Amino acid sequence: MRQAAPIVCTLLLLGAGTAKAQGFNLKAPIATQPTLVTGVGQSADIEMVKVLLNRGKVVFKADPQAKAGALAATGSKSLVLVIGGSSKGLGAAGISAEVDIERAKGLVAEARKLGLKIIGLHVGGEGRRGQMSDKFITGAVPLCDYVIVVATGNKDGLFNQLCGKGRIPLDSVEKIANAGAPLLKAFK
Amino acid sequence: MELNRLHLSNRNLNLVLLAILVTVCVYVTPGYLAMRRPDALRQGPGVTRIAHLSDWFADIKGTAGDTDVYILDSGKPGGSALILGGTHANEPAGYMAAILMLENAVPLQGRLYIIPHANASALTYTDPMEGVPREFTLQASSGKRVFRHGSRATSPMHQWPDPDIYVHASSGQQLSGSETRNLNRAYPGRADGNFTERIAYAITSLIRKDGIDLTIDLHEAAPEYPVINAIVAHERAMPTASGAILNLEIEGVVMGLEPSPATLRGLSHRELGDSTATLALLMESPNATQGRLRGRTDEALILTGKDSQYVRGQKLGRLFVPYDEKGWPLHLRVARHVGGLQAIFTAHAMNAPERSIVLGGVPTYDELATKGLEPFL
Repeated sequence: MRQAAPIVCTLLLLGAGTAKAQGFNLKAPIATQPTLVTGVGQSADIEMVKVLLNRGKVVFKADPQAKAGALAATGSKSLVLVIGGSSKGLGAAGISAEVDIERAKGLVAEARKLGLKIIGLHVGGEGRRGQMSDKFITGAVPLCDYVIVVATGNKDGLFNQLCGKGRIPLDSVEKIANAGAPLLKAFK
Repeated sequence: MELNRLHLSNRNLNLVLLAILVTVCVYVTPGYLAMRRPDALRQGPGVTRIAHLSDWFADIKGTAGDTDVYILDSGKPGGSALILGGTHANEPAGYMAAILMLENAVPLQGRLYIIPHANASALTYTDPMEGVPREFTLQASSGKRVFRHGSRATSPMHQWPDPDIYVHASSGQQLSGSETRNLNRAYPGRADGNFTERIAYAITSLIRKDGIDLTIDLHEAAPEYPVINAIVAHERAMPTASGAILNLEIEGVVMGLEPSPATLRGLSHRELGDSTATLALLMESPNATQGRLRGRTDEALILTGKDSQYVRGQKLGRLFVPYDEKGWPLHLRVARHVGGLQAIFTAHAMNAPERSIVLGGVPTYDELATKGLEPFL
């Protein structure tokens, strides 16, 4: 509803304000626009992150299966990894979990060569944990420069462990909608 | 002599059995036939026209597949949306959400089309051997309201026999024969197809001819089914669906997002998205009455969703939704659908402001969750 749109935006901005007041573990912006958003695990969570970036007016391209060889041609100055496995998503993409992890590792290696900063997001909460998703989480999180997680996905502290007690800044939010604030703050 | 006596005895037994059969038939027939009487739905303040599905495909006129289409036109420029309830007539939260919308919504911008009973034939019988009630009653603010509770598929009285294998016409996909009567495996339908395919074709024709921007098909699923408490979206509808999920989350409603599988054919979210310009979405809520783990199946189960077997199933980790002694009552399932619809319209307005659909008069998720359905029917 058009009438509700300003209310939603206001709530998101309030969320951002609250987030700033909370103070995130990431103290200064690290990433430059435009950014490239890709999935690690091929879940539909990438769609939620696209909405957050759109609402925050971040310039981005999205390619769920972006490959290392094509990264430079996108002109992207940073990389956003949306982490979380989906057997349906992998099936639709026609790839295995192992192939997707290798693709992501290759992409990250290329991003490093190009000097791009890497932001990891896990927004699927508890439902995006378990044997399938944890493969992607353990594979991708240690490669990031900054990680944002929806709290229910980190009940066991896996993300704290992988982020190495502060070596990689980690911010935890209660809801997906709240992930917009730290995500926007990460961009210059 | 002995043979004659045995013959007489057999004849008497046959007569007794015949009499019992006739008595049973006389007893149950009125109830069975009563399911053919349409539910009395109130025309809400926003309804500007009641059309028939056959207006878009005359071939189904006068058949059990023809059904009412409620149009709520604001008269102001904007987009258009179609709400499908009762695609599966044994999923009451779907058609009750559609009914609640048509009895309450007032269009402020754009046009809304509501088909509360998309497969009207499926509402004329219940599945044999399932022991599911034929109706349920609500003590609504407008008085006692009785709503039918039907079956998943078109009545065999209207489409028979089933083939051994159902072949989806446009893809060649093969499914079990009974799926030939499943409206949500028949899209986009065929003008010269079977009865169910012609209903699907009529709905597709409505979407094409009236240029419907958004189509939302309201469903329920067993708690042991993995796609539940979720929006399933065609790839073109993903920005709308993901925006809606964020909008719902702000209201405290957790909803999953599932992409429409490209290889699962005949479903509304796949075929309507592929074969028309509409943004096709489907919503699922949890319904114990159609589940395989359920215990006693009665009207209370439809209304409260309370079932000790599902509580046990949750403890054993067999379900895809939380399930405790509070159950999943009908009003909460309808609240999820109605809240979801409004969240979808909001997200659509943010993505395409000139095609907004704005509704007043619709109770919020919180109002429905706390007050129930009765004050709004």
